[in-house]
Amino acid sequence: MNTYAWLVKREFWENRAIWIIPAAMVVLLTLASLFGTIEATLFDSAARTRSMAGMMFVAFGALFFAPMSIYSYWYLLDCLYTDRRDRSVLFWKSLPISDTATVLSKLFVALVAIPLVYFAAADAASLLAAFVLSVRAHAALGNALWRLDVWLQMQAVWLYVIVTTAIWYLPVTGWLLVISAWARRAVMLWSVLPPLAVILAERLFIGTHSCLSAIGDRLIGYTSAAFSAHASEWADSWSGNQPDAASSGAPSAWRILDPWGFLSSPSTWIGALVGAALIAAAVQLRKRRADQ
Amino acid sequence: MSSLIQARGLSKKFGSQVALDHVAFDVQPGRIVGLIGPNGAGKTTALRAVLGLTSYEGELRVLGREPFQERAQLMGEASFIADVAVLPAWLSVDHAIEFVGGVHPRFRASRARALLANAGITGRRRMSELSKGMKTMVHLALTMAIDARLLVLDEPTLGLDILARRGFYDALVNDYMDDTRTILITTHQVEEVENLLTDVLFIDQGRIVLDCSMDDIAARYAAVAVADDALAAARAERPFHERPMLGKRILYFERPNLERLAALGQVSTPSVADLFVAKLSRAGSA
Repeated sequence: MNTYAWLVKREFWENRAIWIIPAAMVVLLTLASLFGTIEATLFDSAARTRSMAGMMFVAFGALFFAPMSIYSYWYLLDCLYTDRRDRSVLFWKSLPISDTATVLSKLFVALVAIPLVYFAAADAASLLAAFVLSVRAHAALGNALWRLDVWLQMQAVWLYVIVTTAIWYLPVTGWLLVISAWARRAVMLWSVLPPLAVILAERLFIGTHSCLSAIGDRLIGYTSAAFSAHASEWADSWSGNQPDAASSGAPSAWRILDPWGFLSSPSTWIGALVGAALIAAAVQLRKRRADQ
Repeated sequence: MSSLIQARGLSKKFGSQVALDHVAFDVQPGRIVGLIGPNGAGKTTALRAVLGLTSYEGELRVLGREPFQERAQLMGEASFIADVAVLPAWLSVDHAIEFVGGVHPRFRASRARALLANAGITGRRRMSELSKGMKTMVHLALTMAIDARLLVLDEPTLGLDILARRGFYDALVNDYMDDTRTILITTHQVEEVENLLTDVLFIDQGRIVLDCSMDDIAARYAAVAVADDALAAARAERPFHERPMLGKRILYFERPNLERLAALGQVSTPSVADLFVAKLSRAGSA
């Protein structure tokens, strides 16, 4: 095993919440599908029943995505801060591991390892729930939840979301790493206050709001950057409002992904460059801030 | 013989405060060097510079490397325990050994386990379950199991009881030290390391005030216990420090005329601790 593999393993030793939170969610969702009440009215139309599988996979994905985002935010703020706070940073620095390797290993955990763990958990939870519900409500559902095509689409959407969020939110990631490597305390506050101060100062002294729109676009602009305009149609199709998709029974996820638009947008790559610069700054801070 | 550590004009400022002021020193292979100074003298800053933990001005080479730019490579051949370093609470003894073994080519896990078995510390326990002394023992075992050319110890036995401290230094000298290794050590317990040092560096207010081998101390310095009647004559020999002791006064001389001093009182070689106090009191009064 090389140094990077050990560094990632180390993150899993330290941050057991990486897998405990999603594992607990799998258990809770399975219990809920085992013992929860099944609303018969959900299956009142054939079209709805056909779209059940898709709805469930999307709902489960969203259920896991929200805590994952919150956890990743916390992880990024904590990862270069906690060992400075408990002073173990000097122990890690006594080993032949460069500061670049340290920072990149944490970046990898935040952008790849944590999303993959949640992805696997979402899959496990949705398949378990599909199985349990199919058995419990077999009369109403039949095999409606066992839809290989929908499941495969969800795998593709998940992987697409992991890759595109990693690129799109790189400036946010880089910023959080800078704060984590730099702040002596109150990392949460430091992650929020400077951007707010810049926005306010611009507004008060220059009267414009370009920082606000740049930051705002980055934070809420992901969906429009990575997904096509068909996304809302797609969402409608789950509820059976759209006759086409409902009758075909398999609304396609492929149409909502917009990889070409995402990759050809300057905004994507400007953000990635800013993110890379911030990550480089975090490495330099990590190098200099050994002592509290 | 080329120096293992070579510092020339080494300086470091924190704002307007000068922590190291054009320090120059050498550490030769195979030596055990004590870096001794009062709090705030700059010894921790000097060690941090040597270990690549802080940027600096001036020239510094450690094992032929520039420490701040090449810390990771340097740590493949050097190791250290910093006074404030603690192992993280979540780390278990087994994981610590596994991890260091994974990332460090010169680490011998079997040796670490043997050292820990001697100290009665078993593998599954986390640092949060161990006492401060035991944690320090784990850290020492991890460090001593690294086959390092240079070992830097900054207050290594802080928080250990006297048995553990003695055990540590015995292990350091008997099991660890050989002529391929070099140790740079700082401690407040000067008396404890005095017998194992081969060289001392005194540092005060960011400057080296003494750079001397233990053998040279005997040749260069003398302490003379003088009774009151001989005091005037002894003071004429220009001592650099004196202090009262059981009705006599101890006078400290550099490059003494031993024949004349022998006539004035009982001559001895000052201990490192006494020499330290004498030297730094002079620096303070100057």
